[in-house]
Amino acid sequence: MSKRVFQHPAEAQTGKRYWRSLGQLQDTTEFRSWLHREFPQGASEVEGNEVSRRGFLQFMGASVALAGLSLSACRRPMKYLVPFTKGVEWSVPGKALFFTSAMPSRTGAMPLVVTTFDGRPTKVEGNPMHPVNKGATDIWAQSSVLDLYDPQRSQSVLSSGKKSDLAAFHAELAALLKSAGDGADLAFLTDGAVSPTAERLRHLILAKYPKAVWASYEPNGHELENAAVAAAFGPDLEAVPRLDRADIVLTVDRDILGVEGEIASVRGFAAKRKVDGPKSKMNRLYVVENRYTLTGGMSDHRLRLPASRAGAFLKALATELAKLSGDAGLASLASSFKAPETKFKDKWVEETAADLWAHKGGALVLAGRRQPVAVQALAFAINAALGAVGKTLELRKSATAPTVGIAALAETLKKGQTNALFILGANPVFNAPADIRWSEAQAAAKNVIHLGMEVNETAAKSHWHVPAAHYLEQWDDARASDGSYMVVQPVILPLYNGVSVNELLAKIAGLEADPMDLVRDTFLASSPKKGDITADWVDTLKSGFRKGSAPKPVAATLQTASVAKALAEAPVLTGADKDFELVFITDSKVDDGRYANNGWLQELPDPVTKLTWDNAALISLAAAKKLGVHTGDVLKLTVGDKSLEIAALILPGHADASISVAVGYGRTEVGSLGRNVGVDVFPLLTSTESRFRVGVTAVKTGRKYALAVTQEHGALEGRGADLTRQATVAEWTEKADDKTFFKKMGIDAHAPENFSLYAHPPLDDIHAWGMTVDLNSCIGCAACMTACQAENNIPIVGKEQVINGREMHWMRTDRYFASEGGDVDEPEMVSQPLMCQQCENAPCETVCPVNATVHSEDGLNVMAYNRCIGTRYCANNCPFKVRRFNFFDYNERSITSLYRWNLITEKGMADSLQMQKNPNVTVRMRGVMEKCTFCVQRIQEAKITAKVHASDSQGQTAQPRVPADAFTSACAQVCPTDAITFGDIRNPESKISKLKDDQRGYRLLEYLNTENRVWYLARIRNPNPKMPDAARAGSASKGGHGHSEKHESAQTPTGGHA
Amino acid sequence: MSKNALSLETPADLKRPALVSHDRSISWVSHNVCDIVEAPTPKWWWLAMCITSPIALMGLICIIYQISNGVGVWGENHPNGWAWDITNFVFWIGIGHAGTLISAVLFLTRQKWRTSINRAAEAMTLFAVVCAGIFPAIHVGRVWYAWFLAPIPNTNAIWPNFRSPLLWDVFAVSTYFSVSVLFWFVGLIPDLATLRDRSKSKLARTLYGIGALGWRGGNRQWRHYEMAYLLLAGLSTPLVLSVHSIVSFDFATSIMPGWHTTIFPPYFVAGAIFGGFAMVLTIMLPAAKIFPQLNDMITENHVDKMAKIILLTGSIVGYAYLMELFVAWYGANKFESFTFFTARANVNGEGWYQWAYWIMMFCNVISPQIFWFKKMRTNYIVVFIVCQFVNVGMWFERFTIIVTSLAQDFLPSSWGHYAPSTTEILTFVGTFGIFLSLFLLFMRFLPMIAISEVKGVLPEADPHHHHPKH
Repeated sequence: MSKRVFQHPAEAQTGKRYWRSLGQLQDTTEFRSWLHREFPQGASEVEGNEVSRRGFLQFMGASVALAGLSLSACRRPMKYLVPFTKGVEWSVPGKALFFTSAMPSRTGAMPLVVTTFDGRPTKVEGNPMHPVNKGATDIWAQSSVLDLYDPQRSQSVLSSGKKSDLAAFHAELAALLKSAGDGADLAFLTDGAVSPTAERLRHLILAKYPKAVWASYEPNGHELENAAVAAAFGPDLEAVPRLDRADIVLTVDRDILGVEGEIASVRGFAAKRKVDGPKSKMNRLYVVENRYTLTGGMSDHRLRLPASRAGAFLKALATELAKLSGDAGLASLASSFKAPETKFKDKWVEETAADLWAHKGGALVLAGRRQPVAVQALAFAINAALGAVGKTLELRKSATAPTVGIAALAETLKKGQTNALFILGANPVFNAPADIRWSEAQAAAKNVIHLGMEVNETAAKSHWHVPAAHYLEQWDDARASDGSYMVVQPVILPLYNGVSVNELLAKIAGLEADPMDLVRDTFLASSPKKGDITADWVDTLKSGFRKGSAPKPVAATLQTASVAKALAEAPVLTGADKDFELVFITDSKVDDGRYANNGWLQELPDPVTKLTWDNAALISLAAAKKLGVHTGDVLKLTVGDKSLEIAALILPGHADASISVAVGYGRTEVGSLGRNVGVDVFPLLTSTESRFRVGVTAVKTGRKYALAVTQEHGALEGRGADLTRQATVAEWTEKADDKTFFKKMGIDAHAPENFSLYAHPPLDDIHAWGMTVDLNSCIGCAACMTACQAENNIPIVGKEQVINGREMHWMRTDRYFASEGGDVDEPEMVSQPLMCQQCENAPCETVCPVNATVHSEDGLNVMAYNRCIGTRYCANNCPFKVRRFNFFDYNERSITSLYRWNLITEKGMADSLQMQKNPNVTVRMRGVMEKCTFCVQRIQEAKITAKVHASDSQGQTAQPRVPADAFTSACAQVCPTDAITFGDIRNPESKISKLKDDQRGYRLLEYLNTENRVWYLARIRNPNPKMPDAARAGSASKGGHGHSEKHESAQTPTGGHA
Repeated sequence: MSKNALSLETPADLKRPALVSHDRSISWVSHNVCDIVEAPTPKWWWLAMCITSPIALMGLICIIYQISNGVGVWGENHPNGWAWDITNFVFWIGIGHAGTLISAVLFLTRQKWRTSINRAAEAMTLFAVVCAGIFPAIHVGRVWYAWFLAPIPNTNAIWPNFRSPLLWDVFAVSTYFSVSVLFWFVGLIPDLATLRDRSKSKLARTLYGIGALGWRGGNRQWRHYEMAYLLLAGLSTPLVLSVHSIVSFDFATSIMPGWHTTIFPPYFVAGAIFGGFAMVLTIMLPAAKIFPQLNDMITENHVDKMAKIILLTGSIVGYAYLMELFVAWYGANKFESFTFFTARANVNGEGWYQWAYWIMMFCNVISPQIFWFKKMRTNYIVVFIVCQFVNVGMWFERFTIIVTSLAQDFLPSSWGHYAPSTTEILTFVGTFGIFLSLFLLFMRFLPMIAISEVKGVLPEADPHHHHPKH
């Protein structure tokens, strides 16, 4: 078949005209002849005198068909792709279009650029222009695209559980509002991500119905922190940690690099940790926590401590600092706080305090958001004493007016006076604290209207449910974590007629405005310029945010009196000495349960525990011994009169008298993926002063439960020096001139020089793609894994298959626990992202019998899916085990019916999910091997772009070099710490060409002579030499010989195999 | 006295025992071998068939289920891309070595005792290769594209990867199978003619007649026949060595610790002969029990000789195991020594599959050592039991090699346990059903013993023979 020519309508000669080159603009004969040469098929075939073989066959075939001789009925039915009936501006079929937007979140919206193909968003990237994330994102932003296309999203208005429509709802709404009067019988409950427009509409509504109750609730929110900020510095303020300025950071029960931090903090931390050489200044991180978190993994010193002892620790620290500084105020604050008597590791508090004090002005202390107000206030007091306020800890005016808490709302509702309760986005029936008995309160409201993306537990108990629009479907605005104003642009019409919060609020406020105008009005209202804002608006849409809109920090001083009051009033933790404490942790994936139906997130291994499709009771090895349990044994946790059963998971480095459980699991009213996944621990949560409970008893039930853990083995087996190389600053300084210091570790220290018996086939392309991974920056957050999944159409396989070891992630983040000297309770944690190493001497290529995996000239180890027959020999011979095999037809089969006989099982992928797929990446069928390709589709796109550019402007036909760092792979693009760098190692201007020659650079298993194209940059630890455990820092990765670790602690066996 | 000194008689103590005992005559041989085929089908045969054929059918059902659903119905997973599938393949292909070795190598080396066992051993070889061939075919993810393995000229100029040992495997096994079939069939021709001539029903006469290819037993035919047989024996002999060497390349040319080793080809060949002989005895000893008339042809002498070969090859295999351990220690490579000392031998208690390793060690190295004693070599029960140990041990050898190397390789993060699924187990059991069903059919319809060859080693066949009674 000759190339099909798109018959674009003739362009109007007026208005803007886009051209490819000046030649086209002038329509010269040169251009026409070039066009002919470039697209010779079709044109020259018909016009030319010569008849090509293909053409001949075609004509012959046509003649035969005309003669009625062909078996035309046996041909496949023709299918047509229907084009747009009207040309869409800028849309070129098969080409991506990008729009700026933002993903709302309670911790500050994520600035985004959305990739769309033919009008459907397929991927989001961070907005590279925004200072908060500079192009990086996180797992939630990456997986939000899947939420958009979730076929089980709420799709219609429900009235008492029955299908209804929007008109009926509007009629009901009008009736409700008619009788509302001053709004005394109206109540609103929102989640924590309130947009400026929603905030504006709220004020309009409250102006109309002044007595309406307006509450907000986030189970993993900042309520306690806000109260602590109010106590320490005054009302209506927000605390903003500036890790980009902090030289010494101490976190106390605060996972600032994980679930309790914003991307700005992560980036700030990473920026202070970047090293060029031993002389680079590098921050130091002290972590006090009850369980291993990503923050703990990055720490230079870590103290295991139950969360209930965080207050005691801060008290001791404050006392010590007061001694050093002679600050009597701090001393009295510390002494007024009644914390349980606690003994800390020798010299830990003293030396930490001394280090913090020595870096006065550059030090920062952060307390956990789950801690009682008093504890957090004490942390602010310490910061004030350290001179952190205004430097490493900024304060700014809160953008939203205060709201009522959910407990107060419940009280109001229980009075039975409420006629209409609007629940906007929140899911209190599932996640409200148990002691406020929300269900009763909600039942007391006469009419409950729920707006949400899914028919969840709350929707099931509401009179009306209205499907909400996804953020990619609606006009909205948001504030980034730096407070800057951003516009959320819709990139697709609502798939299921979803209604945005703004539309509903506008309706209640009595506005009949277009959703975009609602946002524009807010934009106008908050505009520093008055008058015509069109240019400003267009500029904001283009860049995604209003430049200079980030609020300035406000000066504040510590209000010692109110802190003292908070400390004095703090209830003493009774029962903290007996049994266990139970810490409610924010899940690193499903958050408070809102993402439970997102398969990518459910299947993403938790960065620390590597657990998928579940939550578990995390306990230490000592606690497990005490309870007589192993991973996968079910524990019964009892606190007060409530109890629940949940499987234990031994997490090395966990505090002994503590149990951590992630909230957000065990949902009942949700799509099929999230239903009954894990255990709901909200019934144990109370609305008391903290988000941990003491006096919890745990007993073994004897029952077993299969946990799907993706990494069975967490010990390094004495291979730390081979795989995850590290050094301390002192060691590096000593070897500053030794270029091979990091290269000659482990087996490479004594392996003979590599040589090959064979001449290497030349890799002589103009490009040579490579990657570096800086282990010093990598926090192990797994955002890269989600980005890879979204970019490369990677399917999910379900819990059962994960237990069978068949997860499909092309890249993984390996997490090891290791401890030199056998201190099994205090292991070190190291994370290492692992993708295909694109070996130049690839072991997988030689063994493939059908040449399905071969090498490209630009150095990629490429897969021809069409050619693969699935012997799995390549995967067996891969030393890094990064190849993934489609054991089942994961794209076509439901994860619950994989074992049902294929021929009698329904197949196919939901239409909406098909829309998510990246059109530039093949969707693989079963029996095919797949693996990381360094995002070959992006490479090709970049090459084509460069070539088109060159041939248009210079008439060049050879492949020109792609400009340095013009594009990057999905994992490198998403990385919040810029740990992954991708590029052309042959281009001397590229970042990677310098990074790969860094002294810290090494390649995995160099002695195998596989000539990897991925370089790891060794991790540097910056311990305080005065600390008692300084000598242990990084030691796990240095053990070159023998087995120095005790494995029992470091192993996290899966329940599935137990 | 001088008369004695000039005697050309072989001294009695140096005389080789007769290959067929009780001075059986040529017609006795024909009659007794053909009788097995010609007699009415015995009840035990039906009974046995009723057991083995449903097992074979079950295996086929498992295969259909696996092909239609995907390899996922097996237990293979991410570090363990191969497990039972290739274990079973190497197990069966190893068994398929004994027959050709007995027929070809022993033929070329003029080991005349081979004649009474070579037919059955060869048949067993073929059936074992049939079973072996199933696994590499169905273990691939897209079996309907398995033809990509064939070097078919095509417009895209895509060829198979001639560097891949898996491709060599395809060629080696298919060549081996075709030559073995040919060799077996050529050996059958005179015997099929005998059956044709003896058969009373027209159908049998026709069918055996087709197989006999017009054999009349003329001199010219015998001359051509013997040359063809010799040539095929010559062709088969290197194949015996090459097939398992090439199978071992699947592992030896890789870079996985525990696979990447130069000792594999001889070690695999020895292991194959070892396992193959054990399987020959496993089949032959019960057959000799069932057909007592065969006892004069399959004698203690045969069992003794085969037991000696088992002892020899078992010791070679044992040497190879110990050499692997030595090299792992001497090589000072932590990954290599981990595989051998931890993952396999489990000296420090952290290996996962040490039981497989130690079963292998006991069955393959320790148990055959009992054959140092002649009394044990000639005790059929002991021999049978040891052969079962060897069969089990050789299966575990392949399992150990494949799974321990994959389950715990270079990066501890990617380690993963492997457990077989029910489908996988039943597929393997099913191949035993296929193997035994085919063997039962063979016993029923073809001469189990090479009649013409046994006749050839009878004293009567010697032109200088003088029957003592004459």
